[in-house]
Amino acid sequence: MSDAPMIECLDVVKTYEDGRIRALAGMNLVVEPGELVAVMGPSGCGKSTLLHLVAALDRPDSGIIRVAHHDLAHERNLDHYRARHVGIVFQLHNLLPTLTAVENVQVPMFELGVGPRERRARARRLLELVELSERERSRPAQLSGGERQRVAIARALANGPSVLLADEPTGSLDSKAGGTILDLLVRLRDEREATLVLVTHDANVAGRADRIAHMLDGRASEPVSLAPTRVAVS
Amino acid sequence: MSFLSLVFRNLFRQRMRTTLTVVGISVGITIVVALGAVTGGMKQTAAAVIRQGGADFMVAQRGSADFSFSTVSEDEWAQVASFPGVERARGVLIYITRYGSNPFFPLLGMRPDELAVSPPEVVQGRLPRGADEVILGESAATDNDLAPGDVVEIDHRPLDVVGIFRADNVFYSSGAYAPLATVREIARKPDVVTAVYVKAAPGVDPAALAAKIEDELPTLTTVASASEYGKVDQGIEIMDALELAVSILAVVLGAIAVMNTMIMAVFERTREFGILRAVGWRGSRIMRLVLTEALALCLVAAVVGIAFGLLAVQGVLMIETIAHFLEPTYTVGVFVRGVVIAVSVGLVGALYPAYRAVRLSPMEALRHE
Repeated sequence: MSDAPMIECLDVVKTYEDGRIRALAGMNLVVEPGELVAVMGPSGCGKSTLLHLVAALDRPDSGIIRVAHHDLAHERNLDHYRARHVGIVFQLHNLLPTLTAVENVQVPMFELGVGPRERRARARRLLELVELSERERSRPAQLSGGERQRVAIARALANGPSVLLADEPTGSLDSKAGGTILDLLVRLRDEREATLVLVTHDANVAGRADRIAHMLDGRASEPVSLAPTRVAVS
Repeated sequence: MSFLSLVFRNLFRQRMRTTLTVVGISVGITIVVALGAVTGGMKQTAAAVIRQGGADFMVAQRGSADFSFSTVSEDEWAQVASFPGVERARGVLIYITRYGSNPFFPLLGMRPDELAVSPPEVVQGRLPRGADEVILGESAATDNDLAPGDVVEIDHRPLDVVGIFRADNVFYSSGAYAPLATVREIARKPDVVTAVYVKAAPGVDPAALAAKIEDELPTLTTVASASEYGKVDQGIEIMDALELAVSILAVVLGAIAVMNTMIMAVFERTREFGILRAVGWRGSRIMRLVLTEALALCLVAAVVGIAFGLLAVQGVLMIETIAHFLEPTYTVGVFVRGVVIAVSVGLVGALYPAYRAVRLSPMEALRHE
């Protein structure tokens, strides 16, 4: 691991509805390169908001968010940042319904300036990585929930991001499919030394992480980060 | 998967809506193409009328609403002929009447000696010389099954067919030449011609000569090209105005149809645009996606509209009465206009939906159900 953190959130505040809803109230989080960090907490505590801010899908009201040396508050081209530095997996796969699995994985690659053949070859390699080669021509409606999430993970990895963010990736899956997704994420961390942030309210899921950050009312319960915790997944 | 395949995939999602939009736009383009072909034919006919017998320009009555109403007196004709620099000034009386199934049969009256100076291409028989002789255009002869030796009766006046001539324009081909005096009697227009066709002497500038004639004979005007034909006939101007009005209507109505389709598509796919933004697509790429979808839609409509425009004109030409005087001209400009209208419709109609798609924040779009 290098000295500089991969993700650094310092005193981040995010409100909605003219300040009436305070989703993040001075959130702090540091994630080192190659770490798998789980962010836990009850519904509405600001977990997803934190993830969306790190993914640059939204902007904080105040505070500092640095990801892979990019200061998001001052980043001019957030599209470029999203395309090249961060991959995101949503709770609901959010795949494009008219495209096949292999086409969905290609979608982010349009921003890389690679040709259609190269896009297709890369997408196939990624589907192989998530063990879905045989379903590359299937549309999302023809895939199971777990398979859709695996396609979504392959898509998140499409542009070789520095950080992979997963928002309740097993939230809509049964325990078996959820376990497969978790195994895959852990394997990605191990094999690719990917930095992962995993938002969950499931202690079993969080137990697979290197560290857990507990959140409550828009803050991490411990300053910056927690000590490593391991919980066996049943 | 290419960008274009993504575009077409999106268009095929709502097949019925896409088809109806294409049909709506193509109707406008069909009318524009058909009108363009007809107006082009009229202009070509006008050009042929103006340059009849190798003239540099024609002289007709100023302010005439329709060319066939123009009258130039014998005195005016003589004055034109006497202008310095005029090599030849041939008077022609054009009388439009019904003959056979042609309601616009042009009977052209010329002095036989003047007709002989620069005659039409005679393919059978000879030019008329006597008062009761006529030479028919090929179409007129074919349509009425006539040949030299037959007799035609025009406005109750029997005339001997002495020849057949070939013309590359439907106006002349479906008409006839007869001596000027005979046509004057039939038309009951003594001592006038419709127009005088002027050939400038070698070394004389036709434009300068025409300007001089207009200066000195203010009741007359000169026409040297189809673009000036409106000086003596407002038919083409009316058709041009109609074509412009239909083109504008086609753009406006087409743009509304495209805007409606694309706004609905953008609204329905809001969440997808959020996903695309989340995976890093630039706003400009999303704008390009929406605009390309609209343009693809409109280009398909252009192809359909042009094809139906051609079919419509050919369908109209199957009506015998119309085929006698209508000769459509399919210039490149007619098709280019159809494509330009389609592209304009696409761009105008899709700009706002594309702007809306780009303005959506990724989070707002992802929350959309």
